[in-house]
Amino acid sequence: MMPTTLIIEDDESIALLIGRTIASMGGSTAIAKSKSEALTLLSQHAIGLILLDLGLPDGDGKELIKMLRPTNTTPIIVISARSDEKEIVTSLDWGADDYVTKPFSIHELMARVRSVQRRLVAPVAIEKLSYCNALSLDHESHTAFLHSEPLKLTPTEFSLLAYLMLHPNRVLTHAQLLREVWGIGYQQEMQYLRTYINILRKKIEPNPTQPHYIRTEMGIGYRFYCHFEK
Amino acid sequence: MIQRSYFLALLLLLGITLVSQLFRTQLELINIALIHMVPIITIALRGNMRATMLITTLSVVLFDLLYVPPQYSFNVHDLIYIWSFILFYVVGYIITLQAQRIHAHEIKTMLLNTLSHDLKTPLSSILGNASLLLSQPKLDATTQHESLSNLYESAQRMDRLIATLLDNARLQHQQTALPKEWCDIEDLVGVAIAEFHSIEKRKRLHVHVDTPMTLFWGDGALLTRLLVNLMDNAFKYSYASRPILLRLSSTPQTIELSLCNSCAPLAQKELDAMFGHFYRLDNTADISGNGIGLAICKEIVQAHTGTIQAYNRHDGICIDVTLPLLRHPIDAIKALS
Repeated sequence: MMPTTLIIEDDESIALLIGRTIASMGGSTAIAKSKSEALTLLSQHAIGLILLDLGLPDGDGKELIKMLRPTNTTPIIVISARSDEKEIVTSLDWGADDYVTKPFSIHELMARVRSVQRRLVAPVAIEKLSYCNALSLDHESHTAFLHSEPLKLTPTEFSLLAYLMLHPNRVLTHAQLLREVWGIGYQQEMQYLRTYINILRKKIEPNPTQPHYIRTEMGIGYRFYCHFEK
Repeated sequence: MIQRSYFLALLLLLGITLVSQLFRTQLELINIALIHMVPIITIALRGNMRATMLITTLSVVLFDLLYVPPQYSFNVHDLIYIWSFILFYVVGYIITLQAQRIHAHEIKTMLLNTLSHDLKTPLSSILGNASLLLSQPKLDATTQHESLSNLYESAQRMDRLIATLLDNARLQHQQTALPKEWCDIEDLVGVAIAEFHSIEKRKRLHVHVDTPMTLFWGDGALLTRLLVNLMDNAFKYSYASRPILLRLSSTPQTIELSLCNSCAPLAQKELDAMFGHFYRLDNTADISGNGIGLAICKEIVQAHTGTIQAYNRHDGICIDVTLPLLRHPIDAIKALS
């Protein structure tokens, strides 16, 4: 059985819609209309997932993330108005696991929920090989293949693709990618990231201007999209 | 439009010169000076500073040459006339400024009208379909599905309009300091295409990248809106199911975008007016889009000090955008190796 999902959202119709959808998938939900209500519910119930609207009547939603992390590791998906890119990036930096923007489709939200839950059940194990559709990548021998043909990648291109493939279907912020692939001190070097994503797309995407694998999250980062997650 | 006001001004100048010359013995110099204000005021009311200044200069020159002693010379004996020349410019300047303010006010009123129309149309479809579904629970499956699809489409239309409006508001408030970042135009094209949910539309759009693209220092969200609006417009006014072609290229100084569709040619007047505020082809009543899409495109391009223009091609219309590179990116590949 799915653990209880806590929906922290002050708009009743949206909370109800999300609640109904999760219920139809066999999950149970609790609804909190404010930050204080959320804290009460969190102390009383075993919560497996938090859906958090950033605009709450009694204060900023992302403060809640700060209060919970790092002691509480319950996955958090942030729900936000679309113009709040900075808010989203801050939330992710403070430990949120993913986000959706309003108006979101319920399919999109549920895909995020499933993706977060899958990570929870099987945390990313460092395996020798990563697969995604026609792509495969060998972390030990530093080689990658597309349709079984070896890809010609420079070391930086390989590291970027390897990091993306190790974190499929989750949002990776610009700063995070730069830090993890290029190293500490490169967080501001957006030019590198843009250039290498462009090169990588040309090498792995069937149609680079309508990318399938490496999807852009405007103002936030990138997401490696993979249907058949390893 | 501007050519016409120049023509009118020249006609007026000719007219007043004729009148002044005919009645010069009866008229005092002060009256002739006042008559020379007429073309200045007429043109200034159109709110174009350049035209005003040009006409003022012509008027001053004519007045000085023909009436201020010594006649038929640019010399001025009495310095007091220099003051009257300055006054000519001051009057022209002030009236032009006022005219511009009135014009801006008219635009605001039009914006409000267009907005209420464009927001209320999808909203009434949403309300209508929702109340139909609520009041008639036993609708047959086809009607129900049709009604729900209408609801969904209208909501999406409203969503796109609101996004455009929010971007417009951002443009108005932050003209001086857009949040610029390094943008990969190809990446933005991908994001823009993803906004179109219809597979059919995505297939119709062909993207050609003619040269390797340099990174561009700009506001990514606004540039995406530019692309979405241009694509939306190209689809809307194209012959059904004909391809839309987007070409991208970059030169050492600029980024060039060109979007072409297939449709009947437009008159030059219509092409010029296309990017004006709230311009719509023909009647405004039943066009599914909004009149502000292309006007905002122009503002976004201007905010990046670029140019945008539309022209007829043999079988359709192209819109070209040129964005100058104000900052040059480092060669990321070289820098790292």
